[in-house]
Amino acid sequence: MSMFELDQRIAEQLTQVALNSAVQVRVGTANSFMVTASTMIPLMQMFEMGGVYISASRGAVEIIQAFEAIGVDVSHIQFIDLVSSGILGGTDVSYSNVHFVDSPIMLESILLRTLYVLRTMDSQRNFVFLDSVNALAIYNDDRMLAEYLHTFINTFRQREVLTVILNVPDQTPPLVLSNLDTYCTDIVDRGQVVIL
Amino acid sequence: MQPTTVYTRDRCVTGIHGLDEILRGGIPYGSTVLAAGTCGSGKTTLGMEFLVRGALAGEACAHFTATEPSVKLLENIRQYAFFDMNMVDSGLINVFDMDVLYSWLGLDKASFELDDVHALIKAIVDIVNTIGVTRLVIDSVTTLCYKIKSEQLIRDFLFTLGKKLATLGCTTILISEITSATENAHWSSFGVEEAIADGIIVMGDSERMGHLLRFLQVVKMRGTSHSRAKHAIELTPLGVMLTPMLKWGASADKTSRWGQ
Repeated sequence: MSMFELDQRIAEQLTQVALNSAVQVRVGTANSFMVTASTMIPLMQMFEMGGVYISASRGAVEIIQAFEAIGVDVSHIQFIDLVSSGILGGTDVSYSNVHFVDSPIMLESILLRTLYVLRTMDSQRNFVFLDSVNALAIYNDDRMLAEYLHTFINTFRQREVLTVILNVPDQTPPLVLSNLDTYCTDIVDRGQVVIL
Repeated sequence: MQPTTVYTRDRCVTGIHGLDEILRGGIPYGSTVLAAGTCGSGKTTLGMEFLVRGALAGEACAHFTATEPSVKLLENIRQYAFFDMNMVDSGLINVFDMDVLYSWLGLDKASFELDDVHALIKAIVDIVNTIGVTRLVIDSVTTLCYKIKSEQLIRDFLFTLGKKLATLGCTTILISEITSATENAHWSSFGVEEAIADGIIVMGDSERMGHLLRFLQVVKMRGTSHSRAKHAIELTPLGVMLTPMLKWGASADKTSRWGQ
């Protein structure tokens, strides 16, 4: 992990959020995993939370292996993979903490599967990490996605499950982006990478 | 002015995630509810979970299976974590094969006449009465009614059975197989079941860009106010789970029909 530098300011910012918060994490195309790791690692290690990671941008195995490569164990995190069912042989994985939903178009199924997985978890404090809104926007109509995020965020806020929503703003439709700004209680903005 | 006292009927709490919320507390006791759905929509799982939740609360339950042998039914349902075979072994959930019941009654025939229908009603009611069943599922009433050739006789059968079971305080789910769950569809195969039932729960699939999303909708439930919205469902190892379907996702439903 020494070679991989985390953004420590994200951990500091996370100390300010409550369990019923919804945090929008804005990333750029180049810093996505660094920001993801900088958010996930404090939640898992500092705050000792359990969690569900919804992967719409890449297959869950790729994300798990990216964490393994920086020496982070995510075996206690449950992954809901929305990508791999669309690839022949994609669901043949050796990780027992990976669940599959047929497609990112099955928005209600994603919500129900997440609620189901949360019901099976022992941890008292949990987060749901949605990666990412822009990936969901590839498949879903703007109005439907805006409606979904409204339902999604309120469902977990009501259950005191911390919602973390990853988003590349440049790739997100304006309607969805403005709704996300309204529903989320906090924002971690790493959406623009400034090259000096 | 004195506030009006609102009378509410006692409820059979289904215990199914989300369904009691939709029904504002559960199914009114003694109701006969038609669970009408297309193939693979989750009717049998819903019916079985209804019984399991009752058994967990100490209620005696019965399941009459006409579509598949009880051994096969139990093998399929064992994959769900909410089901415990001990409930069957201890007699809390009693599973009856309709074919065996027909043999006992000497009804091994292609079609039933009036006397046969009365004998069948008496047998079911006797079982319910003897065991003290408070939750009953018949899966499916469609298969059973195929043997009853007259529409009038089907109506009499369902009406009399429902009335007698209600008198015994038994809440019944009649599973009905339909080929389409669209807004113009009938909720039953013979067209009479839906008129007689106290409640109708429709289950089907909505197609969204080539993917089938299971849904459930309560279209009628006498004795209670209820949501009439479509709800998406998932069949999880912990049981059926529901969430309201996205309103903007419903536009595709209007053109979707099962099998097309």
